[in-house]
Amino acid sequence: MQPFAYRKIHDVAAAIAQGAGEPNTVFLAGGTDLVQLLQDGIARPAGIVDISDLPFSSIATTIDGMRIGALAKLADVADHPQVRAHYPALATALGETASPMVRNMATTGGNLLQRTRCLYFRDGVSSCNKREPGSGCGALRGEDARAALFGASEACVATHASDLAVALLALDAEVLVAGPAGERSIPVERLHTLPGDTPWIDSDLEPGELISAIFVPRGAAGWAQAYAKLRHRASFEWPLVSAAVSLAVVDGMIEDARVALGGVAHKPWRAEDVETLLIGRELDPVLAREAGEAATEGARPLAGNAAKIPLLARVVSRALADAGGLP
Amino acid sequence: MTSLSSRDTALVDAAEPRVGFTVDGKPHTLRVPPTARLSEVLREGLGIEGVKVGCDAGDCGACTVILDGEAVCACLVPAARCDGVEIVTVEGLAEAGRPGRLQEAFWRRGAAQCGICTPGMLTSAEALLRRTASPTRADVEEALAGVLCRCTGYAKIVDAVLDCAADATTAPAVGAEVGAAVGARIDRLDGRAKVMGTDAFGADAWPEGTLLVRVVRSPHHHAAFALGDLDAWRRANPGVVAVLTASDIPGRNIHGVIPPLADQPVFAERVARFRGEAVAAIVGERAAIRALDLATFPVTWSALAAVLTPDDARRPDAPLVHETRAGNVLVRGLVRRGDAEAALSDADVVVEGAYTTGFVEHAYIEPEAGFARRVGDRIEVFACTQAPHMDRDDLAAIMALPPDAVRIIPSAVGGGFGSKLDLSLQPFVALAAWVTGRPAGVVYTRPESMASTTKRHPSAITVRIGAKADGTLHAMRFEGTFNTGAYASWGPTVANRVPVHASGPYLVPHYEARTAAIHTHTVPAGAFRGFGVPQAAVAQETLLDELADALGFDRLDFRIRNALTNGAPTVTGQVFAQGVGIRACFEALVPHWRERRAAARAFNATAGGPLRRGVGVAGMWYGCGNTSMSNPSTIRAGLGPDGRLVLHQGAVDIGQGSNTVVAQIFADALGFPVGQVALVGADTDLTPDAGKTSASRQTFVTGAAALRSGAALRETLLLRLNAGPDARLSLDGTMLRADDGRRDSASLDLAGLEPDAHGFVFAAEETFDPPTSPLDANGQGEPYAAFGFGAHLAEVEVDVELGRVRVLALICAHDVGRAVNPTLIEGQIEGGSAQGLGLALMEEYIPGRTENLHDYLIPTVGDMPRVTSILVEEADAHGPFGAKGIGEQVLIPTAPAILNAIRDATGVLIRDLPATPGKVHAALAAARAAGARP
Repeated sequence: MQPFAYRKIHDVAAAIAQGAGEPNTVFLAGGTDLVQLLQDGIARPAGIVDISDLPFSSIATTIDGMRIGALAKLADVADHPQVRAHYPALATALGETASPMVRNMATTGGNLLQRTRCLYFRDGVSSCNKREPGSGCGALRGEDARAALFGASEACVATHASDLAVALLALDAEVLVAGPAGERSIPVERLHTLPGDTPWIDSDLEPGELISAIFVPRGAAGWAQAYAKLRHRASFEWPLVSAAVSLAVVDGMIEDARVALGGVAHKPWRAEDVETLLIGRELDPVLAREAGEAATEGARPLAGNAAKIPLLARVVSRALADAGGLP
Repeated sequence: MTSLSSRDTALVDAAEPRVGFTVDGKPHTLRVPPTARLSEVLREGLGIEGVKVGCDAGDCGACTVILDGEAVCACLVPAARCDGVEIVTVEGLAEAGRPGRLQEAFWRRGAAQCGICTPGMLTSAEALLRRTASPTRADVEEALAGVLCRCTGYAKIVDAVLDCAADATTAPAVGAEVGAAVGARIDRLDGRAKVMGTDAFGADAWPEGTLLVRVVRSPHHHAAFALGDLDAWRRANPGVVAVLTASDIPGRNIHGVIPPLADQPVFAERVARFRGEAVAAIVGERAAIRALDLATFPVTWSALAAVLTPDDARRPDAPLVHETRAGNVLVRGLVRRGDAEAALSDADVVVEGAYTTGFVEHAYIEPEAGFARRVGDRIEVFACTQAPHMDRDDLAAIMALPPDAVRIIPSAVGGGFGSKLDLSLQPFVALAAWVTGRPAGVVYTRPESMASTTKRHPSAITVRIGAKADGTLHAMRFEGTFNTGAYASWGPTVANRVPVHASGPYLVPHYEARTAAIHTHTVPAGAFRGFGVPQAAVAQETLLDELADALGFDRLDFRIRNALTNGAPTVTGQVFAQGVGIRACFEALVPHWRERRAAARAFNATAGGPLRRGVGVAGMWYGCGNTSMSNPSTIRAGLGPDGRLVLHQGAVDIGQGSNTVVAQIFADALGFPVGQVALVGADTDLTPDAGKTSASRQTFVTGAAALRSGAALRETLLLRLNAGPDARLSLDGTMLRADDGRRDSASLDLAGLEPDAHGFVFAAEETFDPPTSPLDANGQGEPYAAFGFGAHLAEVEVDVELGRVRVLALICAHDVGRAVNPTLIEGQIEGGSAQGLGLALMEEYIPGRTENLHDYLIPTVGDMPRVTSILVEEADAHGPFGAKGIGEQVLIPTAPAILNAIRDATGVLIRDLPATPGKVHAALAAARAAGARP
């Protein structure tokens, strides 16, 4: 592990100043991803600012929704009665994230900003434009079974592995960000970036910017929701494909819909065409199936990941069925 | 104040934060480097080695501790942020130096096999119980979902935790009457240290000042390389004491488990033949070694053309992995009986299929670890191993020492399953200690372990089986190609074992099985529970279902009709007069088969959703011990002048239970309580050679040696006491007594007697070598003295939309001859079937890609169904008290039973393992397109 300066900072402004002022400084929250990246030599920061003591861990119901601190532990959010009652898609997604121990350590903000699980990024030696700009993309003609179906580029076919981000996207959530230029909020939809020709950039955050909280609007609380995830074993695995849906159903009719897909792009992928398809119709197994097929429109598989396409269709159908209480 | 870096005083960093925290009730204050993980600080800074490290990545959960009430992976916690926290480790669960309630329950239930995951299981469970006093089974499974166990299949762990619910109790320990230890569910004799977290594994109990070794490995599948100025590099890196390469090896730079084919260098010379092969080892102070940037190591690589699959390796223009092995063929195997081709043409029905399986990783939770020290002109190696005497002999040749100058002391072994039969780290640490004069140790990283140690052979198998209309198996042809990787390892054993077993436990009059082990530029494939037989069984057992269907027979009944019986010849022409228990295993499944199939049909008839249920069965047989080769075990035992009864037990216990089982057999043969037996070993200085822990031979072979040893010692004692054969022997202090109930008991004070060289006043040493005969050119002969038999029933639920398979139940009938310790046998069955489930559904190792426990998936607690064990006891004449092996038998039928169940549920048979959701979905889609209606 490359040596670095470590500071634990208890003050938000000082943390931001450190993060913005010192080049190649990273924030350490739960550490479940960063400690690994440091160990494997993939992250080689000059400095680490430990933000785990910043006052960002509360979970609170507000007049217009829920505010979940960026340092709240995944386990605490998953178990929170208000989350379970009003945002079941979120509770399900978190309950299926990693392992109980990791959920006791990992934070919501850190989960959103986790780096990709692409084998070529993580092995520390293969060609990877995300890790080593200009070195090429090993996955493009390599082991690509988990590679992106949407929004990939020649430079990078990695996927984002968060379950949480997918659920939040379907709930129209925002992240609240504190930074050198003050506070701002970013819709989850715009938090993560597509790889394009700058795959080393994962998010819209500027140096020194910190996620302080996640805001889930109240509107989503009344919607029918579900999160469906497909993986190879019963626990502790990132999604092969996943889907979160949130439906405003009035008298059996879908008045509004949000559909987000996981494990298929460099960011949680919003399926707007599916939303359009759903709106104004009555949810039944036929529509769920049709919507699942529609979710795969525009998928651009590589040599080895086409198997994900039909599975994605089924996962979307399953999430819709779960949300709508269909068999 | 202590400092983590105190052992590496040259490298103390003044900028280290100072933290204070409580561990197991004791306060500590220390300085920790910002890079230090809590796991490292607990183990090295505070000496709490009950915290185990299995992956250093949060994937296995072995290092789980309770931090301020929450279970966390200590390997992911930066120690620098632990100021003010309260930590509980496994060592804090003990009560007044004795196992606490949860630890006691784990011990009683047999929930600790190898013991490496046990601390993480215990702390995870403890965190749950502190939060929820009376958890449900689902609560327990959820709490343990992040701790991987490769031995137990989880069932006994979950049961043990449930025993500790507020309203539950732990069963009392089972005592065994004299002469009744065999058959009793006694607690494992070595279990206390495992549940207390005090067992010393390869990474534990290193001497103060042990140097650390780091191995430099090839990043290419096949590459030429040149080393630069190693001395200059060493001087430029303070704290590095030595750099070792092939030129530093005093003896021969070759090792291999099959001496005539030994071909693997300790360090590659000029050319590296697989990604992960060692080319050099760096030895130095711990902190310096950890801080090294290997990118600066002076080696230049030139990648060469590589062949990664047998298909590529057999092309005429393929580069040869070894110049002397034409066509990249390591060995071929053949068993032929009758005329298979002709008989297939006169069979009434013939089925055929082509199957493929990939590399499978052993995924023991303990990566290879150990240390060596030089003691005068001898070298001692303390490391995990399954084969101490083989290690000794190979290491002696490498070190140019006589074998008796090498001492192998097996550490507690945190799982082996075959891969720890081969040398791995032993030459590196031995050489490092020899050259530097200081103890030297290494703990492989998880990726290093996975990249460099042996795997299950990938296979490509084609089979044709024919039967007569009356339901009689008539002929079978089997062709199997096994990717044996860059070096021989156990490739020949796989190539020879598979043809003997590929018929399955059936009467097949016309048979021809051919195998080839093909070299490629990949990690060596070696021994893994079953030596190729599980791959063969997948093909043969799934085709039997197709054959039964084609003939209109019930699938289980078809197997019963064709099952081997006493007096019927096997495919090698061997005829057993006794001990063939396969029919009994199948018959034991009949009521379950009927009941479960009816239930599955009823479920499917009413299922409106995507779930379909199915039931499958598969049988197996497996020869105990080496194939047509001598494989003796020797057991020494004796009485000391202090009245201590000592059993030199050299059969390495890698979790399967040989320490307990061999002692049970010995105690009953001698006529003493098993609790009175003190175990010594394994240790090549102290214990005679009990052979390797492999091929399901320790209960059968070493157990038989223990039986003879116990009987011989008994005879000596009775003779000396002038007592009859039925006399009851006992020890009271140093007084030995024999009471045959007819007259006053005879007695003798051992204290006055002169001990022999081993310190015994009475001793016995006996050897058993199972009788076999060589196989002729057609593979005909008597390869094994006994086979173990078994049959599994799997009930699955397939989500036909998502392709996801959930195994709902496994019912496993095994003919074990005699169940020496039913709890331990159930543990083997539950754990082996978990590995079989992994083989069937999720496990595939891709060299260079899945070298960790998050990309390489093994079953978690949630993946395992309830496993019901049915123990059939068809005693074997050679086995001790009739006992046969069980270790490998348990894995073989699981995967084919699951695949047959998937086919039963959906109509599709997956012939390319693992049956992942993508493959199952694709097969279902293809079947639908072809007009089927799953």
